[in-house]
Amino acid sequence: MSGGGKWMFCFLTYCSLAHRVLCGRIVRVVKMLPFMCVCVAALLLSGCGDSRSSAEKAAEQGVLIVGNNQEPMSLDPHKATAVADGKIIAALLEGLVRPDAQDETRIHPGMAERWEHNADATVWTFYLREACWSDGKPVTAHDFVYAYHRLLHPEFGGKYAEMLYPLWHAEEFNRGTRTWEEVGVKALDDRRLQLTLTCPTPHLLHLLLHFTWCPVPAHAVEAHGGMLDRRSLWSRVGNWVGNGAYVLDSHHFNDYLLVAANPRYWRAHEVRNRGIRFLPIVNGYTETRMFMDGKLHISNNVPPELLAVARRQRPDAYCQDTYYCTIFYRLNTKRPPLDDVRVRRALALAVDRDSLVNDVVRGAGRAASCFTPPGAGYDHSFAFAPQGERAELARRLLAEAGYPDGKGFPVLEIMTTSRDVQRIMAETIQAMWQRELGIHVEIRACEWTAYKAAQQNGDYDISSSSWSGDYLDPATFVELWRSGGGNNCTGWGSPAFDKALNEARRASSSAVRLACLCQAESIMLEAQPVIPLYWSERTYLKSPAVEGWYPLLLDNHPLDAVQVKP
Amino acid sequence: MIKLLFKRLGQGCLVIFVLQTITFFLVRMLPGNPFLGERKLPEHVMAQLNALYGLDQGALVQYGNYWKGIICSGDFGPSLVREGVQVADIIAQAFPVSLWLGVLGMGIAIVVGIPAGMMAAYWRNRWPDALFMLLAMAGICIPAFVIAPLFGLSLGMHVPGLSVAGWDDPLCAVLPALTLGLINAAYIARLTRGGMVEVLSADFIRTARAKGVRAGRLLFVHALRSGLLPAVSYLGPAFAALITGSFVVETCFQVPGMGLHFVNATTDRDYFLIQGLVFCYGVLIVIANLVVDLVLVALNPRLRSQGAA
Repeated sequence: MSGGGKWMFCFLTYCSLAHRVLCGRIVRVVKMLPFMCVCVAALLLSGCGDSRSSAEKAAEQGVLIVGNNQEPMSLDPHKATAVADGKIIAALLEGLVRPDAQDETRIHPGMAERWEHNADATVWTFYLREACWSDGKPVTAHDFVYAYHRLLHPEFGGKYAEMLYPLWHAEEFNRGTRTWEEVGVKALDDRRLQLTLTCPTPHLLHLLLHFTWCPVPAHAVEAHGGMLDRRSLWSRVGNWVGNGAYVLDSHHFNDYLLVAANPRYWRAHEVRNRGIRFLPIVNGYTETRMFMDGKLHISNNVPPELLAVARRQRPDAYCQDTYYCTIFYRLNTKRPPLDDVRVRRALALAVDRDSLVNDVVRGAGRAASCFTPPGAGYDHSFAFAPQGERAELARRLLAEAGYPDGKGFPVLEIMTTSRDVQRIMAETIQAMWQRELGIHVEIRACEWTAYKAAQQNGDYDISSSSWSGDYLDPATFVELWRSGGGNNCTGWGSPAFDKALNEARRASSSAVRLACLCQAESIMLEAQPVIPLYWSERTYLKSPAVEGWYPLLLDNHPLDAVQVKP
Repeated sequence: MIKLLFKRLGQGCLVIFVLQTITFFLVRMLPGNPFLGERKLPEHVMAQLNALYGLDQGALVQYGNYWKGIICSGDFGPSLVREGVQVADIIAQAFPVSLWLGVLGMGIAIVVGIPAGMMAAYWRNRWPDALFMLLAMAGICIPAFVIAPLFGLSLGMHVPGLSVAGWDDPLCAVLPALTLGLINAAYIARLTRGGMVEVLSADFIRTARAKGVRAGRLLFVHALRSGLLPAVSYLGPAFAALITGSFVVETCFQVPGMGLHFVNATTDRDYFLIQGLVFCYGVLIVIANLVVDLVLVALNPRLRSQGAA
């Protein structure tokens, strides 16, 4: 019986039953019971006709179903900003280089066949391979130049233009004080692209993995409104032209986005699945239920409350990977008493991070002893003193600052988003401060945009924050705290810190550079404009049928290497 | 009747105009703006974006431009968050989903609620009454965010064919429709019971009983028409609310309907999308109320004579 017929049948049975009950013929209803039981059994059995789950059916067709956290804002790499957008764009566009499926420190040639740079790594020349867009037109160095020109153009309003600021004079062009001809991007010919950088950048290849460095098809963008048209429809279904492993197939808002294998991709024979279905599931509970019901192959996130259930019920699918992300509290150093470093340090010392990791996020993280998570050859972490000693020191510092046992300490406010985990964490820290320091803080949960506005305007005391790395390099974390930096938002700045960062930028070797960054971070931690809480770990579910998916620090999985077995 | 129709339509247009005006100024008073990202935008980029979408102009100029767009070209404007997507496209994709779910939900609500209310009224103060009203009270009290996951876990996971969430199969509509339907059925059952209890104690019913009219005929032919009036008044706005989507049910069942857009557009400050959705909701409420008025007139001859007068 078809789905509709089945329910129509139920409906009719119900009507008949209701009529009989109303007419007082209950006896007949009782007589009908055996017949109704048969009907219900038939109904259930008809549902058993095809007992395969959505994920199994998709696997047979070679389609991978992935939970992608939220509806993408845009697939245009110059308008996208969200992590969810980046994951889809990585499947649709390929930059000069591409990531490795297992080891993030390894970089593979992408659109560039090979590259070379001068001695101090400020001038890079990329030699492009023979590749074509999904409409058959060749990918040339001019497409890259066009893309960078578009993102940096002062009239375009590229939200992520600063990702290209390592290019010579890119920032000045973006601010309208230089011309495009002065920017360090040049197509030497169709197959040679030259990038000139503001400072030695040995980690440039890692930067190039970000979607903002991907080319865009100049001919397609021009055909749909031109370079500066933000409302351009070139990245919508039907108009999409890409050079990645997949092409855009269909997109239904809040439902799914399907990409299909691109037959014109230069490594098309190595792409291991025929398509990927991205599901924009915001609610982690819904997503986990869907995974358990066989609706997707890889989920995006298991909420802390469900971790125990997930570990118990699906030990074969449960994954917990280290993630390049720090959860921390920003302290507004412009507001008293947080303008006193002793108060800031006291607040930081009184937080029992192990307890947060174990009790709030149920083990999905590691207590953070510094801001930058270990990785990419950088490790600034250290062992904590026992919490008792730390709390004692915190009380002493607070007393020195003029608040013995918390007396006279003004009521501060922790600002969080409306996410459950943030609220619970704030309540836990509120209790820790009350217990250890005798101070009371309030909690203000804001909806997302109000939270962002308050944070960016410095309209908060303490703000619950997180930061995930854009690329695999400690600079993506340490650079955040540069004086007056757009994402600093704490009001803190230090010439010594900026000097150490500038030295890192000019450093000739990687070891010297990392040492400078380490020194900068020490200066920052000493001043404590932030309280690092924990380095987050990604918890998700992955079907055992999935192959080629490995834990990655940045969570940028090249999905063309992932295969789902029927 | 025609006069009533035109009068109601005129009032409806006024309501929508006022609704749109209030929404327009209210959303712009919210903190933040559509372009705020997780990372702070440089001021010159923010200025470019505001200029591009005309948000740098005075509020009244923006207001004028908004109406000009709607009246001159039927353009609700672009989404400010999903750039390159028109508000009309988003609504065109989401509305059929919510409509289908709303119709199913309302169907379930009527099919469950009205007979339950009738039975409760017929056996007033006896066990069926107590049972149905207890269930109805439970349906009203237990929020959707509890019922929806419970249905998902109990039915979706174990009944073959049903699905815990998603929208990739026709049967995916069953559980969200059931959740929406049962919650509304509870209200309808209580309203129907109230109406029917009043009618069943009326003189003409007693006369009919005395004449030996059978229970079924008494209920369906004589009492139902008047007894349904309170439920019908409720059905109009409820139906409009159902077909414009429910955020909670859509989130729990991952349904790509209007409810998700409604809440997301508000939290993202997607001004034009909020306006478009409020417009849509307003029009539906006006239409639903109009239909309810007409149905009430058809059901209640006294209203007809008032209308004629």
